[in-house]
Amino acid sequence: MLTRFLGLDSIRKRALAKAEPGILHDYLSTPLTAKTTQCEQLSIVSLDLETTGLDPNKDKILSFGLVEMEHMTIKLETARHQLITINEEIPEQSAVIHQITDDQAATGVSIHDALQELLQRMAGKVMLVHYSAIEQNFISNACQKLFGAPFVIPIIDTLVLAQRLFERRNHTIQPGDLRLFNLRPRYNLPNYKAHNALSDAVATAELFLAMASEMVPQPSQCQLKRFLTR
Amino acid sequence: MEIELVEIRDFLAQRPPFDALPEEQLDQLPKSLEIRYLRRGSLFPPGDAVKGYIYIIRSGAIELLDEEDNLIEKLAEGGIYTTDCQLIDFSQVTHGIAVEDTLLYQLSCDVLKSLRMTEPAFDRHFSESIRDRLKQAVRTLQVSGETSPIAEMTVEVSDLIRKSPVSIDINSTIRQAAELMSEKNVSSVMIMDGTELAGIITDRDLRKRCIAAGVSSDRPVSQIMTTNLETIQESTMAIQALMTMTRLHVHHLPVKRGDSVVGMLTATDLARHHSTNSAFLASDIRKAATVEDLARVSERLPDLQFQLANSNASALHIGEAISSITDSLTARLIEMAESELGPPPVRYVWLCGGSQARREQTSHSDQDNAMLISDEMKPEHADYFEILAKRVSDGLNACGFVYCPGNAMATNPKWRQTLQIWRKYFNTWINKPEPMALMLSSIFFDLRPVYGEVEIFNELRSDILSKTRGHGIFTAFMAANALHHRPPLGFFRTFVLIHGGKHDDTFDIKHRGIVPITDIARVFALDQGLPQVNTTERLEAAAETTVLSRDMGENLVDALEFIASIRIYHQAEQIRKGLKPDNYMSPEELSDLERKHLKDAFRVIQEMQDAMENRYQGGRFV
Repeated sequence: MLTRFLGLDSIRKRALAKAEPGILHDYLSTPLTAKTTQCEQLSIVSLDLETTGLDPNKDKILSFGLVEMEHMTIKLETARHQLITINEEIPEQSAVIHQITDDQAATGVSIHDALQELLQRMAGKVMLVHYSAIEQNFISNACQKLFGAPFVIPIIDTLVLAQRLFERRNHTIQPGDLRLFNLRPRYNLPNYKAHNALSDAVATAELFLAMASEMVPQPSQCQLKRFLTR
Repeated sequence: MEIELVEIRDFLAQRPPFDALPEEQLDQLPKSLEIRYLRRGSLFPPGDAVKGYIYIIRSGAIELLDEEDNLIEKLAEGGIYTTDCQLIDFSQVTHGIAVEDTLLYQLSCDVLKSLRMTEPAFDRHFSESIRDRLKQAVRTLQVSGETSPIAEMTVEVSDLIRKSPVSIDINSTIRQAAELMSEKNVSSVMIMDGTELAGIITDRDLRKRCIAAGVSSDRPVSQIMTTNLETIQESTMAIQALMTMTRLHVHHLPVKRGDSVVGMLTATDLARHHSTNSAFLASDIRKAATVEDLARVSERLPDLQFQLANSNASALHIGEAISSITDSLTARLIEMAESELGPPPVRYVWLCGGSQARREQTSHSDQDNAMLISDEMKPEHADYFEILAKRVSDGLNACGFVYCPGNAMATNPKWRQTLQIWRKYFNTWINKPEPMALMLSSIFFDLRPVYGEVEIFNELRSDILSKTRGHGIFTAFMAANALHHRPPLGFFRTFVLIHGGKHDDTFDIKHRGIVPITDIARVFALDQGLPQVNTTERLEAAAETTVLSRDMGENLVDALEFIASIRIYHQAEQIRKGLKPDNYMSPEELSDLERKHLKDAFRVIQEMQDAMENRYQGGRFV
């Protein structure tokens, strides 16, 4: 575990060396959250992106939604939802899912400004997502393109945590079992009708609180390393 | 607002007190919240809370306990816990526990405070005492909807009578009385002996007892006046006055406020106001020649109850209306029996017990009655009264007032006795209280004369009250008895929450809501020697003594009115659906607000029962 953490921090330092001065450089200059940090002391950003597709090389980020957590408490005052302008038409098959229209997207900010806000908010914190491949790869790809270096952050992935819990109990995982809205009822969490970046970020944050209290019932024994998936 | 928090906003907007916030405040509210998760078994509120919050349950369940781990309250989705913001609601609660995995919203006391400062309607939810909330709830019940003609029968006599009564001194001559009546253009005059009402003279008396009888108009009025008058209180309902007139075959009733005469109610006054429906009912009872006729009239009682409930008459007034119709039916049955059997050999009085006696009847309850016969009764008279009792009881049964399962009826020889025997009964019950007596107490310590010689009953009553007044041991037994029926703690989802943390699907609103209050009122009345029988009147009278504070008295009166109204609506709904009205309610029938008010009412009862347990040390005898 220790080597893996050192690995992440050396990845950060390597990226810092490559990054052009500016937003990403500033971000990478901030030390990562130590994995021995007590849960109560953690600053977590629960994040969800809507994209035009699943391929970070081809597809674009359409919006982000996030909410911050401190003291294992979700602070709704930090809730943010931001649309991002893309210079192409939104493919119909993805519009069906995220329901963002071209007109709405046109009211958004540039990917540059969006990344600026995300990086400022996430510096020194932990990123919480459900299925980290999307968020990690899309943000990292965009950073690589715009600022010349990848995005590096400790990640808690509730999908991976759920997978581990299922495996530990020898449950066979059925298709769909690990989806955010199928996991929530197992923890007596309410059913949210709306699906968009912010409501999914809030839903993920709630799911994490529930999973954390199951995995580590004693708050005093709760440390970040128990949940890190990167 | 971030549109995606709409879900949280909508959750709050459906629930008191947040439903009292204007749109723009509601839109902002989610941003002020924080979300926490408590795993089943965790302590509540979360021990690490850095500042004061109110908590709103989003999903899951929390049990709130007192020092001794007794369950005080159980919160489910939408439940709110406010204690940490120095609000008084659950003062006994010392801690809580999440009994299901629970998602909580927390709102800081500071935000709450500023919302309360800017939004008066929202603030009211927190600042009002149970007392104010109940008062408001009762008021809301009664102002909603329009007053229908039926409801006009629930106006009080004081609204109908002439303001200044026409009266004349007892030493006046018949002519003077006649002149006064002509001058004032009235059909009757009250004859006063000092400040006491001695009798009345009506147009008919002048015709029949003076002119037709050849009595000189120079004679004193006392020679032709009607004495032994039935009077009514000015707070009596019009419909009840109508029934009293029907029963007595009179057209004039002197009206009193306490002991002093304030006016005269005439049949004409009533005719101007009564609704056709109840007027027909009254006249049909009067005209009925057979039990079958009466049974047909009686079939309309549920309809009347339904219409009264729909016209927003108060539960108190509906109880009075139904009871007075039952009185009239009973009186008519007795008249019919007497006209066949001949006049009674000695004086007697027919008594009703239970809810009819308290004037709190709902349509077609079981019959509870008794006969009190003069001590002049000889063994050979027994047959007459036995037959009379059977006729009346069978008649009531035919009218839908089914036989009392406990046989507390005048047909039971035990409850058809002379004054002397009745005195002995009460003497035993009061001095050697035992479970049997306590079982009967709700029937026989609530007695009211319906027909016959009221004086015999008055004698018995003053004897009973002089014995119960300040009788410590008896009162303690009665108090212990009054603690048998405990109200529920409240509601939890679709369940009723009862003591010990158990759940029920339905609750008996009569035995868990109404009976506890009537029992409490009876203890006070007997302990203080109060003649009132109606629960509300008992509580009002007790609140004038040291045994009950005025505040608590008002709370109990409001609690009773609210619970009884909910019951009346429940029954009205059953009547509408063609079902037989009952007392079993499911929480699903209740709105959030009704649940909240009922919980307040239950809490008032609980508080009173606790106080009673201490005061009379009733617990010892349970």
